[in-house]
Amino acid sequence: MRMLGQFCLLAAFVSIGYAAFATWFGARREFRTIRQTGLISAVVGMFALTIVMVVLAVALLSKDFSFHYVTQYTSQLLPWHYSLSALWVGQAGSLLLWAWMLGLLAMLFRFWPWKKPSSLRDPAFAILMAHCGFLAAIMVFAADPMEANIAPGEEGAGLNPLLQHPAMLIHPPIVFLGYAAWAVPCALVIAALASRRQTGDDASTRLGSQDLSSSQTPIDSSWVRMARPWALVAWTVLGGGILLGAYWSYEELGWGGYWAWDPVENGSLIPWLIGSALIHTLMTWQFRGALKKTCVALAIAALGMCNFATFLTRSGIFSSLHAFSQSPIGWLFLGLMLVLAVGGLVMIVRHRHRLRADNPLTSIWAREAFVVVSIVALLLLAAVTLTGTLYVALSEAIVGRRIMVGPAFYNYVLVPIGLVLLATVSAAPLLRWGAPPTARQKRALLVSAVMASVVAVLVLMTGVGHPLALAVAWLAAFAVATLAASLVVESRRIDADRPWRGLARALVVNRRLYAGFVIHLGFVCIAIGVTGSSLGSQRHELVMKQGEVVQWAGHSIRFQRLIERELPDKFVAEAELEISGDGERPVYLRPAQHLHRLQNQWTTEVAIRSTWLGDLYTILHNGEGQDAVRLTLVDNPMMRWMWLGGWMMVAGAAVRLMPSRRRAVQHVAIQQGQITAGRATKTNAAKTAATRIGDRDNAAA
Amino acid sequence: MSTPIKLGIASCIVAGVTAYMAYVGMATSWQYYLTVDECVAAAPSLVKQRVRVNGKVAIDSLDIAAGRHQATFRLRGTEEDLPVICAGSLPDNLAEDMEVVVEGHLDETGSLQGDKVMTRCASKYVNEPGIESGTFSASRDQASNKGRQR
Repeated sequence: MRMLGQFCLLAAFVSIGYAAFATWFGARREFRTIRQTGLISAVVGMFALTIVMVVLAVALLSKDFSFHYVTQYTSQLLPWHYSLSALWVGQAGSLLLWAWMLGLLAMLFRFWPWKKPSSLRDPAFAILMAHCGFLAAIMVFAADPMEANIAPGEEGAGLNPLLQHPAMLIHPPIVFLGYAAWAVPCALVIAALASRRQTGDDASTRLGSQDLSSSQTPIDSSWVRMARPWALVAWTVLGGGILLGAYWSYEELGWGGYWAWDPVENGSLIPWLIGSALIHTLMTWQFRGALKKTCVALAIAALGMCNFATFLTRSGIFSSLHAFSQSPIGWLFLGLMLVLAVGGLVMIVRHRHRLRADNPLTSIWAREAFVVVSIVALLLLAAVTLTGTLYVALSEAIVGRRIMVGPAFYNYVLVPIGLVLLATVSAAPLLRWGAPPTARQKRALLVSAVMASVVAVLVLMTGVGHPLALAVAWLAAFAVATLAASLVVESRRIDADRPWRGLARALVVNRRLYAGFVIHLGFVCIAIGVTGSSLGSQRHELVMKQGEVVQWAGHSIRFQRLIERELPDKFVAEAELEISGDGERPVYLRPAQHLHRLQNQWTTEVAIRSTWLGDLYTILHNGEGQDAVRLTLVDNPMMRWMWLGGWMMVAGAAVRLMPSRRRAVQHVAIQQGQITAGRATKTNAAKTAATRIGDRDNAAA
Repeated sequence: MSTPIKLGIASCIVAGVTAYMAYVGMATSWQYYLTVDECVAAAPSLVKQRVRVNGKVAIDSLDIAAGRHQATFRLRGTEEDLPVICAGSLPDNLAEDMEVVVEGHLDETGSLQGDKVMTRCASKYVNEPGIESGTFSASRDQASNKGRQR
């Protein structure tokens, strides 16, 4: 079985490498046969890669210790689901998973039944295959998941107990899926820049064609339409992965809470921040024909930063709580990132004339101006996070001593940037593309501000006096009020006599617009959770005897009993706590200590009572003589809002990604050449489909 | 004043405030990141400085006080050892021969007074995941033994 896996890995490397070459070359020279052999080779390569995945999964599940990888990460007593999760625990396995996911997405991208073929599809597919081939090459030459175990035994080292958590089953695959998906917008923009084709004229244009090779030819804007859903998928998946990791870290004691600004956490946050900016520049390009150079740079930077994150986790040169090997393959990812950075810069400079804005910024109160401010804020946060992460290496290079910055560095910066982002997000529903708000919108903004002020005063009356908490409360209330006002205005515009019908119609017609605002509200919820838990957290350490009751942070906590259980692979000690409040039914929490037999290692399993006001986080440390335990209680206000925000973002993105009939109409319009991206948009193209969507947004606003 | 200039000014204000906050954050949170050997070699110049030291817990040196609120051990480097006294809550899997990161201040005697000790989290991409010998508080050992007897 191992030999089969090794053969298939080699076959996948060769096939995918050829597929990248043949599809690019075939598309560029219009050699249909070569292009088709490339596509067939890609399918063969993906099939071979899938077999490698299956072989490794079967080996892990069957505890086949003739595989070195299986010996490293499983043991006979390890439950099957954690054995399977070992597939992405180690370096070789995680690369295999990443390559496989990237290959699957590339296939989905290439063979998706689009209504109209695009000349960008094959070259973009070739770039995706090249990236996949890069990962396959690393596996073949440096990190072989099929490596033989020189001295196979009856038992493996087992999975580290801290990784035996349900989040381990889904967190790493989600993050790798996010990394893989960021490759699609990058591939599309490179393909668009390499093409001399304008919009919507397949026949007369092809890659490298000399007849339309003027440097003034506007770039094929159809890549924006194709890239937007992929960027949103990548952003949602990576964001979901980051939040899931944060939740895991929150539940796993000793990992510094839900966010510790560790280099590895920062490594995944940076591409997500850049991706957030990219999504907004894509919209601005599509609706206003502006921010084109920024958009190109961000599409390439998002993928570059995914490679940088991989470099962080595998180079071993950064101070991280995560234990990583000093593997040479990290430098390969840094090399790829540098190639992308230099190549992207050269392309932007070379194609600068093709990337001129179609429409100038006309008003600072237009939506695109707010988009610019939010992009600046997001990129500043990304830059600060990158600086903090690289500070050790930079300080060593500059002053000869390794100096690192603590969480305070990031937290200080987060305050002004977070407030700016909240402000732009809050005002968005009542702004228009290309023009300042109308008189009606200005009135709605004023009313929203008054309502937000009332909410802030109410919050102040509850005893919350911190200026930052009040500012966040005001902005959160303002965000909700502007969205509600936008809905009221739109429903009246659609059907003034029957407002509920108008509201329903407004939500249906502007589904994507409001789905985007739901994502914004999710961000607002996360801001509430972060602010509440950062400013209001308190902890209390105590020893409790059986039957003892303590009153703390509005809770009545009674230590009922200590429960000890013996499981096949571990010993479990749990303290049963009865938690009750005023007039509430009691709930029971069981913080625990687990002794993992194989590793002879204790782990702490916290128990959490979560409400909309906050979390009661309980930790069992150890026994104290007879019938007494040492506990820590932590009160984390508003934590549930953070997880709610994450779910809202995912839900909003899902609704936004659902296909739309209107988009199909617009797509046909684009393909029929009614739209010419570029400066000639004042004539019949002034009513282009792209602008129509912008107009619809404006109408809704 | 044109819109791009207004936007440029707004962006500069945001960037300026961010840079100032970054400076304040850096001034309050920076610390030397050292190996044990580097820390021992530069000890006189590092007294009362905040440092973060990376090393392994020396075998036969770990002593965890009851209640797991204090630990003393020697942090092992390539050539030198650094005595460490750590106060505060300790990680579950703190054990001898384990790689840890300690944050704190160096005192006049050359000991590291740690206020935070972190074991490196689990393992992803590590070549050989270590099987650590357990070192637990007396009460946890009792519970452990009780579990074994059953």
